[in-house]
Amino acid sequence: MAVKRRPLAGKILLHLGLVPFLVFALFPFYHMAMTSLKTDREMYDRAAVPLLIRQGPTLEHYQKLIWETGFLTWTWNSLLVTVLATTVSVAIGTVAAYALARLKFFGVGTFGTGIFVTYLVPTSLLFLPLAQVVNWIGLADSKWALVVTYPTFLVPFCTWLLMGYFRTVPKEVEECAMVDGATRVQALTRIVLPIAVPGLVCAVLFAFTLSWNEFIYALTFTSSSDQITASVGVTGELIRGDIYFWGGLMAGAMLASVPIVLLYVFFLDYYVSGLTAGAVK
Amino acid sequence: MDRPTRREFATTTLAGLAGILAAGVPPARGQQREISYLCWNNFAPASDKKLAEIGQRFAKDTGIKIKIDHINAEQQAAKYASEVQVQGGHDLVEMRMHFPWLYEPQLVDVSDLVGELEKKYGKTLSSAEETAKVKGVWRAVPQYHTFFVACYREDLFKKAGLKIPDTWEDLYTVGKELKKMGHPVGIPISQNYDTISTAGPVLWSLGGMEVDKDGKTVRINGPATEQMLEWYRKVYRDCMEPEVLSWDNAANNNSLNAGKAGWIHNPVSAYIVARNRKMVTADGINHHKSLAGPKGRHETDVPRHIGIWKFSKNVEPAKEWIRYLLGKKDVLDEYIMSGDAFNLPVYGNLQDHPVLKTDPKFAALRQEGVQFHCYGWPAPPSDKVQRITNEWVLPNMIAKAVTGTSNKDAMAWAEKEMKRIMAG
Amino acid sequence: MAVGDLRVGAAVPRPGLRFRELLDHERFLGPAFVTPALLLIGLLVAYPFCMALYMALSNAYIGRPSHFVGLQNFVALWESDAFRQTFQNGFVFTGAAVACKLVLGIALALLLNQQLWFKRLIRGAVLLPWVIPTALSTLGWWWMFNSLYSVVNWTGIALGLMDPPGPNWLGQKYHAMAAVVTVNVWRGLPFFAITILAGLVSIPKELYEAAEADGAGAVSRFWHVTLPLLKPVLAIVVLFSTIFTFSDFNIVYILTHGGPINSTHLFATLARQIGFESGQLGQGAAISLYLFPVLVFVVWIQLKFVRRQAY
Repeated sequence: MAVKRRPLAGKILLHLGLVPFLVFALFPFYHMAMTSLKTDREMYDRAAVPLLIRQGPTLEHYQKLIWETGFLTWTWNSLLVTVLATTVSVAIGTVAAYALARLKFFGVGTFGTGIFVTYLVPTSLLFLPLAQVVNWIGLADSKWALVVTYPTFLVPFCTWLLMGYFRTVPKEVEECAMVDGATRVQALTRIVLPIAVPGLVCAVLFAFTLSWNEFIYALTFTSSSDQITASVGVTGELIRGDIYFWGGLMAGAMLASVPIVLLYVFFLDYYVSGLTAGAVK
Repeated sequence: MDRPTRREFATTTLAGLAGILAAGVPPARGQQREISYLCWNNFAPASDKKLAEIGQRFAKDTGIKIKIDHINAEQQAAKYASEVQVQGGHDLVEMRMHFPWLYEPQLVDVSDLVGELEKKYGKTLSSAEETAKVKGVWRAVPQYHTFFVACYREDLFKKAGLKIPDTWEDLYTVGKELKKMGHPVGIPISQNYDTISTAGPVLWSLGGMEVDKDGKTVRINGPATEQMLEWYRKVYRDCMEPEVLSWDNAANNNSLNAGKAGWIHNPVSAYIVARNRKMVTADGINHHKSLAGPKGRHETDVPRHIGIWKFSKNVEPAKEWIRYLLGKKDVLDEYIMSGDAFNLPVYGNLQDHPVLKTDPKFAALRQEGVQFHCYGWPAPPSDKVQRITNEWVLPNMIAKAVTGTSNKDAMAWAEKEMKRIMAG
Repeated sequence: MAVGDLRVGAAVPRPGLRFRELLDHERFLGPAFVTPALLLIGLLVAYPFCMALYMALSNAYIGRPSHFVGLQNFVALWESDAFRQTFQNGFVFTGAAVACKLVLGIALALLLNQQLWFKRLIRGAVLLPWVIPTALSTLGWWWMFNSLYSVVNWTGIALGLMDPPGPNWLGQKYHAMAAVVTVNVWRGLPFFAITILAGLVSIPKELYEAAEADGAGAVSRFWHVTLPLLKPVLAIVVLFSTIFTFSDFNIVYILTHGGPINSTHLFATLARQIGFESGQLGQGAAISLYLFPVLVFVVWIQLKFVRRQAY
């Protein structure tokens, strides 16, 4: 029957229309994965087909990466910096967001605008003078410099995100609790936070992702091989002079993305809602 | 047994104090001294492992603990600058090429150490002396060097019956045939160090220079430069392909190893990578001695030295490390052997090193009769001369010439740029 | 106000209780909660920003004392080929990238707004490039554009679209710019698509039905219903993207390092090369500060717009 066939054809066309976008989005990952499993001989053979592995896959790039470079150290650095920076930022952001969303005090409007503006100040504007500040406080070439400086862009984002979530918690619930004798702080911790858990999860996820992905501060404030983070290590130390260890570069890129991919797979909906929170709320 | 008299006690104490004050250092507590060494990420990863091993043996033999940190070559300049700014960091630092000139006021005078080493191993190569000896004083101790050499496809040469070139003119003759065979010459003409590393020797072999020995006079606008530009024009036209205008530092390696280029000018890294990755071309690659011109056989060199920061509180133990690593011949030999011919000895009597025998393709790396220099020779490597290198004046001039600008205009442009930089 | 002042249930005032009363007082609690963030921003954002201003007006060099030199750095920058090229690059890169992301983002959002099979999977796949660390995913693109082994060239030659050996993407002026714009679009498209999708979802279906009843076709519905109602979301997304694209660092640094011959240098990468790698902090800071006017413009428009939205 004509009526039934048309919607189906339309649907197939729709999905076909998505194919170029999907290929565009996913092909680089496929290619990176393939290359990281190829033998050197096939990788550098101009006559070989780059899209497939024909001469047998190998784990040697991953093995060399893990055992013969500082990759484990770099990943540990990234993890340490990210976890600490995230914790600090979400804590500071939560209390600041609550104050801005609920409390009235001198300067609340200005401060709200200030937070928003700070979020927009690019890290590439501040990295040079911040490098000097970091030297002065004695944290030159140290991952602790990152723990101290990452909150500068994580806190504004978390505050802003959480403000939106806190605003959705009905005021009446808190006021009820306070009438019953709870202090503001208790209202925050026992009433508001449990309701705003999705917002908190979102904030933690984004803080973790932004921190793990950060590059320019890590590149500038750390340089010794035992202090650098995963991104800086993979992009810098697998190139020695004019020798590029492409297999290792691809393997490193894949492995160093694993924590983010894991979080992403389990918390996809939170990522989506967090992305749209700032724009639409 | 007897308790010391008050006078004896006072004298001993005063003597001890005087001794300590004279030495200028607080007494070592229980002999546990610790020093730190910031080293680059060696091209040969095995060399870094060997260095760590030697460090542990050093700690056992001398009681001085050494912490060896590594850093990428590109990060070195910024890292050193920040250590100088903070006046703290490591005790020993690896100083590459002209760095001793850049950091001269911050480096300890190590003439005594170099004197010891030269007595043992003979004089250092000219390139090491030009870069580590600043205004008559040794500011860093030369340890090894990497240099450029001619890398070619021996199998293709044999098949076509081509003669191995000895001069840059010979290369043009041979290059024409190579291009006809589909294996062109691969010399980059773009903004990277490989370009300067070839342009330098060509210019020097014709008697030319960028800035004179006095470190002030710009000499690029002259007959030798014109001859160099003529040579590049004909080689670009008849021996190479236009892609060399967009090459980076790794492109010539890749071209040779992938089987395209028939002749490149590069350190031994190209061959070693091909061999280690078991590439098809590896067996066919070999090296031959650097090329000569009417005014001699010159080659680009990358010497590496070890310096000690003046702000270090452990200058004497740091010197002990240098004596251990470089002064003991067996340790130095071990260290060089681990480098797979990337890092070769830089002292006169060590030039015939056993590492050259570990692979027949390393034989030509002996490079007798070749004069080694760093970028900017013969001008002393001040920071202005280095800016000429880092702002790519030479590559840009050559690129202009081979793509249509007249020699006169190209040289005038280069002279103007260099004069601007020298004026500050 | 009154709630904070009520001391319900407290019988005897004790010393410890006084502090807790204070904590209940909004006027005290508010600033207290906000202080950590304020300190952080003051010390590590506002102060370095002022330092950047001072450095740009001085001849600061790493490891040497600095002196005030007025606008000398800015003048010297304008006389430098590299900077003039960078200035142009910034606008070309941002303009091209944001335009592509906008158009493709709307298209993709429209597609995603339909009834789809595997909707969650597709959305997840589309968002992936945005989530993965840019520095690492750019490595993949670097290999894809490699002069000898580029899979882009291989595919182009296999499909007959290119002559062997295909262009050297990262070694030629215009190709390099096209390459960095492509990677930026690849990375930024999910942000546009997902955000615009959220905007699309919030448009009431009744409006479409009414328009259809009036005889409007699909294109007309898009033009007269969808776009006007999307304008707020589009404005926000474009403005955010503008500041982040203009100040981008990772992609250019890893893919081309600013080359060939400065044709892909952006303000951020040039600032790092001159300020950090060459040590000329004063000039480097001056270059970074060129990001500031764009930031001001974006913030001003956002605030004007956001305020309009709120009232």
